[in-house]
Amino acid sequence: MAKTARLPLEGVRIADVTVVWAGPHVTQLLGEWGADIIRVEPINRIQPFSRGGDSVVTKEQAEAMGKAGQPTGSYPNFDPGLDRWNRNAGFNAHSRNKRSMACDFTTPEGKEAFIRLLKVSDAFIENNVPVTINKAGLDWDAVKEINPRLVMLRMPAFGLEGPYGNFRAFGTHVEGMIGHHLIRGYPEAGPDYTGEAFTADAMAGVLGALSIVMGLRHRERTGRGQHIEMPLAESFMPVLGEFIMDYTMNKRVTEPQGNRHPSHAPHGVYPTAGNDQWLAIDVDSDAMFAALCACLGKPELAEDERFRGQLERWKRRDELDREIATLTRTSSKEALFHQLQAAGVNAAPVNNEVETLADPQLNARDWFKTIEMPTVGTHKYPGYLFKMERTPDEVRLPPPLLGEHNEEIYLDLLGYSRAEYDAMVAQGIVGTTYAPEVLAAAQRGG
Amino acid sequence: MAGPLEGIRVLEITRNVAGPFAGKLLADYGADVLKVEPPEGDPARAYGPFPGDEPHPEKSGLFLHLNTNKRSITLDPSTGTGAGIVRRLAAEADIVLEDYAPGQAARWGWGWDVLSEGRPELVMASITPWGQTGPYHEYLGSEITLQAMGGPLQNNGHISMYPIKLGGNTAHYHAGAAAAYASMLARLRVEMGGEGDYVDLAVYECQAGFRDRRTVYMAAAAYTGYPSKRGGSQIRMGTGVRPTLDGYVNVLGSGNRLPALLTMIEREDLLENPDIHRPPAFVPQELIDEVEASYLVYLMQHTKMEVVTRAQELGILSGAIMTTEDLLTDPHYRGRGMWDTIDHPATGPLEYPGRPTIMSDSPRPQPRRAPLLGEHNVEVYVDRLGFTRQDLVTMRAEGVI
Repeated sequence: MAKTARLPLEGVRIADVTVVWAGPHVTQLLGEWGADIIRVEPINRIQPFSRGGDSVVTKEQAEAMGKAGQPTGSYPNFDPGLDRWNRNAGFNAHSRNKRSMACDFTTPEGKEAFIRLLKVSDAFIENNVPVTINKAGLDWDAVKEINPRLVMLRMPAFGLEGPYGNFRAFGTHVEGMIGHHLIRGYPEAGPDYTGEAFTADAMAGVLGALSIVMGLRHRERTGRGQHIEMPLAESFMPVLGEFIMDYTMNKRVTEPQGNRHPSHAPHGVYPTAGNDQWLAIDVDSDAMFAALCACLGKPELAEDERFRGQLERWKRRDELDREIATLTRTSSKEALFHQLQAAGVNAAPVNNEVETLADPQLNARDWFKTIEMPTVGTHKYPGYLFKMERTPDEVRLPPPLLGEHNEEIYLDLLGYSRAEYDAMVAQGIVGTTYAPEVLAAAQRGG
Repeated sequence: MAGPLEGIRVLEITRNVAGPFAGKLLADYGADVLKVEPPEGDPARAYGPFPGDEPHPEKSGLFLHLNTNKRSITLDPSTGTGAGIVRRLAAEADIVLEDYAPGQAARWGWGWDVLSEGRPELVMASITPWGQTGPYHEYLGSEITLQAMGGPLQNNGHISMYPIKLGGNTAHYHAGAAAAYASMLARLRVEMGGEGDYVDLAVYECQAGFRDRRTVYMAAAAYTGYPSKRGGSQIRMGTGVRPTLDGYVNVLGSGNRLPALLTMIEREDLLENPDIHRPPAFVPQELIDEVEASYLVYLMQHTKMEVVTRAQELGILSGAIMTTEDLLTDPHYRGRGMWDTIDHPATGPLEYPGRPTIMSDSPRPQPRRAPLLGEHNVEVYVDRLGFTRQDLVTMRAEGVI
């Protein structure tokens, strides 16, 4: 069917001073559905962990990390090239449909340009440590004088105020401070085995985008912009609602859950043929358990008294898990997946990213986006979170090169003269690359 | 001041976690959400936790949390009468949320084609495990199987052990939030003079597009042909999860934060050793051991929050590994008003997780408790739709409501 509706956020301009993962995810989700995202980024200093240009600087390094399974610093064929900040998988995964403007709002010239941008924007989104924006004189009290119709979203880790207001944290640290690190850990091993995750970044992305839409709706009805505070930690708390309420109801502290379910069994991942290959299985009825046992070639297990009924299975879940694991070990996860699903058993392979890229379901639904970028080439990227029947979901712009849209933004949108613009370029305030001393400082860890 | 979604009417025909969380987000910020429950109730009413571990359909912590600010009617949407009532209710709704199997609503007579006929402004979102189309659209899917196949399950945990899922119902909460976002995008367009839309939301695709590393690593795999692996380099000198006197901390004390870490553990003397300034992979093991030994001595003399507070003073990114008890007793969260106290006739007052966002000009209204099963049947069926009380008795006897 032809998708003919206009994009929901067409005509909405967003000043984006987000860094690292959560903030850029908010603007990714808004850009996908039509907003004009203007990514404001300095060229006179490096925003750590944002364009990936700081951490992994040689092909050997990228290759060693990538082949070891730590691909955050990956480049096409591991090659950082001459402009690695344009070639980082982490940055390019979230930056489609954004424009890039070189501007450092912590300098007087940069702040002047940024204020001009705020005057022609509908929203302003940032997720820096609170003191950064406050020191630049860009908190809501200042911003609402510049443009009272702005929706301003601030995403500190823990809050703009309170004892942890200026705590510095990445997703992995927030993960601990919201209780999630402990809850998702192994029942049989300490939190040092759990590994890191950035789950709050993923949730905050969606909730941040939702809160911008709520703010825009309110503005359409009242004419007023507003300030929205969405701490990463607090936005995640509803996700742990049942565990939080177990404490408030029963004063019970949730133990590490691993793959355990409060009532289903078997429920977990089971080894299959090959090295580190697993199949997830989730059984919630006697009929499904019988079908599972039959498929795995041991129908008598369903008749075993130890495992009769969901409650008995759940009580003996460790014993049951060992039984199931002996039966899955020799088959391929992909073959078992289809056999079990055909028999009405809820199962799915634990897939890595290479397998997901080849997945028939995602490809049949045209989920991936193929994007061509100058100097980077043409690659598949993760798609959008949902499909809308009438609304186009093509990628309108590839991820922006650093400062790629400087001219059109400074000259056409912000009203700078050619002479003013050229002067800023000459001063090194505006450009499309980091100065060598900036890159050297970043490599030293400065 | 009214909530930002005041005036939006939502019909929620969903169960368990994803759809109800979408409905909760809209309801909490001011939308009028009518929840349609099967006559036996949303299955979440049967899930715990329960006070004293005694199951009771009005005391499920999961249900109470996910259904604040909603009204509830009972209705079997698979019956002919039920489908007719769904169509009447949908005709007065701005947004319809549903989560039955692909094509099921259409077979029952209240699919998107029927509900949207003559109503270009309608917004409808269908939430399913795998989406409405594709070779697996009829497959079963749940939290663990969808995290396994789409999400970051494979790189959660330690390489020496099996992969572990993210906590609780994370994938379904995330998908629910995405459904709320999608619905509000389309609704915003309607209010700006445009069309409504139909949202096909697969929990699987939300997992594949999950910002918790998955999208980053997938782009990296497309760039290089290599996938991510569990565990590994996050445990480095001064960095990673470590025990303390009363629990664990996660501290980023390597690289340019190492001098601050050495200050924290009072081993600044080690800065005079030139080897400590080498790239992490080239620091001699005995030096790493010496740093770690001193660090452990420090950690064993302090509580986790003492360590984090000191690390933060020194500019070191860090966090404590908190328990749910820590969350509920923490002065930061409590002082900021993170927890709502909500009274309920079956449970009495309890604390709930509060607002995800704080909006200055359209604050979230004071939360109202989750509805009792069918609490609003009379209000909706009699006062609004014109059924008689005798009709209700009949429909109840027939299992329609």
